[in-house]
Amino acid sequence: MTETGAKIRVLIGKVGFDPHDRGILILSRGFRNAGMEVIFLGKFRTAEEVVSAAIQENVDVIALSDHCGVMRLIATDVMEQLERQGAGDICVVAGGIIPEEDKPALEAMGVTGNYGMGTPIEEIVRHIVERVNSRADA
Amino acid sequence: MTHDATSYDRSFGGLVRDKTQSNIPVKSAYGPADLEGFDYERDAGDPGTPPFTRGIYPEMYRGSLWLKSFIVCYATPEETNRAFKKYIAAGQTGLRVLTDTSTLSGVDPDHPLARYDIMCNGNPTFALTEYETMLDGIALEDIDFESANSTPSGSFFTYVFLVALMEQRKADISRLRGTNINDPVHAFIVYGTPEFSPDLARRVNLDLIEFGIRHTPKWHPCTPCGYDMRDAGITSPQEMAFVIANALQYYGDAVAERGVRFEEFRPMVFSMSAESDFFETIAKFRATRRLWARMARERLGATSPRSMACRIGIRTAGNSIYPQKPLNNTARITLQVLAAVLGGVQSIDPSGIDETFGLPSEESRIFELDLQHIIAHESNVPLTADPLGGSYYVESLTTRLETAAAALLEEIDRLGGMWKCLESGWLRQQFDRATTEIQGEINERQRLIVGANAFQGPDGPISRAIVDGAYKVPSDEKRFGAIERVRQLRQTRDAAAVQRRLGELAAAVREGRNIVRSTIEAAKVYATLGEMVGTIRMAHGLPFDPYARISAPQFLQVGE
Repeated sequence: MTETGAKIRVLIGKVGFDPHDRGILILSRGFRNAGMEVIFLGKFRTAEEVVSAAIQENVDVIALSDHCGVMRLIATDVMEQLERQGAGDICVVAGGIIPEEDKPALEAMGVTGNYGMGTPIEEIVRHIVERVNSRADA
Repeated sequence: MTHDATSYDRSFGGLVRDKTQSNIPVKSAYGPADLEGFDYERDAGDPGTPPFTRGIYPEMYRGSLWLKSFIVCYATPEETNRAFKKYIAAGQTGLRVLTDTSTLSGVDPDHPLARYDIMCNGNPTFALTEYETMLDGIALEDIDFESANSTPSGSFFTYVFLVALMEQRKADISRLRGTNINDPVHAFIVYGTPEFSPDLARRVNLDLIEFGIRHTPKWHPCTPCGYDMRDAGITSPQEMAFVIANALQYYGDAVAERGVRFEEFRPMVFSMSAESDFFETIAKFRATRRLWARMARERLGATSPRSMACRIGIRTAGNSIYPQKPLNNTARITLQVLAAVLGGVQSIDPSGIDETFGLPSEESRIFELDLQHIIAHESNVPLTADPLGGSYYVESLTTRLETAAAALLEEIDRLGGMWKCLESGWLRQQFDRATTEIQGEINERQRLIVGANAFQGPDGPISRAIVDGAYKVPSDEKRFGAIERVRQLRQTRDAAAVQRRLGELAAAVREGRNIVRSTIEAAKVYATLGEMVGTIRMAHGLPFDPYARISAPQFLQVGE
């Protein structure tokens, strides 16, 4: 829950053809168990579709997953779409196989978390709650 | 349970589990009473004799060692070609090909969704040109090609391109050797790519089996894949039951509908996972052989020992390696490979220790080979067949696993086979239940994973070097070069020939003929994979693009 008491709304999905969806399935369950509302967009999506769905569903957070090592490109496209569609206030977090050297660039564009496999779900949940609450403070 | 402070405490610890990885309860000791009713001839048999519990060859590794295999899947056909040659020189005996994630999904690199995954996990083999480069200077006859391409179109086009290239080079296609996964049910559940609808995928599966048996008798046209399903989070009995049930489905259909005899098939090949639970993994391979021997006899009418045997190729569990303190992955992979050898498998493909960061580096690949050389030549483990046969625990666990898998097989049979189980959602539920349970235990720390949910700690210099050494996806500029290549190919090839061959392919689809030959002919005149998938789809009454984002190219629109 956010500090104002509303349930956090998270959209989770994958951009491109990476078929590894065990992560998003497990996280969806974890987020729901933690009291969040989850919009599960699944895989084989474009950046534009992710952002349009996020706006339509009025989410607080977009959670992106990729196991092909191309989160930087995915995130660049998603952030550009958020900007273009005037939804820069939506938080973006990421996980999967993310090359170490791409993490500073991702953080710089506002994509945080950048978790690898085996990260405890409570750590990811805590991070999302913090991101949403710090946005509410701003 | 965080152990930063206690990691050096030499008396710290205490087991948290009393069950195997698949939640089979384990007693603290086993004895003769656990083998009551065990009959050596019926339940074990000498190595090389049915039911093959102890292995499929009398001499086992004294006769020949397992095949040392791994996926070679660098970003470009040129890099892959260099790697193939280098690894062959280092003692690798099978070439495993994997195409990139976009092509595996049934489209060309210029598809709007492809831009993210071009050259990820493999090279974009969108046309025969790419196979020409990838296999330049490598003999095609008598080498073992293992197609790791799991999707329905992936399996189909690996075979199509290999045969097309052999015919182009005037090689004898009857000397094509190797394996093709061609397991559409597992692909729908694990990958979920929609390029072939289930009815179309079912037909292509049988076309490949039928054509393969007639024209490339040394090629295994369908080797059901338990590995991918296991790695998606199911248990050992589920992995065994689903891989056997898929084999019964495809081969049963081929016998019933395509007029082939089961005895014409070479021994069955299953791909399975070597997981971290050491004894369960060993027992699983033993139990799978025993259960398959019975199923082949009872359900498919196998009469010769050869057709009751199954070869098992393994990959070590990709989901068991972790990015936290990656040096630890060497221990995990070593134990998994050792379990596979003790379980008597025929082919081993270990994960790279750096595989949670990117594709394995070359040094990591060489380590995988050396690890197997160490087990073969320094540990002396392979000197004798099934060294754990007769162990109270291992025999008892083998029977437990076989019984659990056999019960699932009965249920699948009652439900009408694997295609029905896929269609009804039963299979999906099986996966969801297992993954939820296992993940719950990880969250509750009823399963400890060193470095991840227990015994955490910082990476040292060795681990950091492992992170830095992993092979990275090439630059966007280089990756997008594939888009240019496919566009150029379309401009330089013989357009009339492409149109004619694709027209013939469409006719074969519409008239219900086997489509393998006409697809090979289309590939030879450089029709692209995306065009061939689209042609097959349209002739089957589906829209050109499986992902509903582009329309058919102009020259294919006639009659759409």
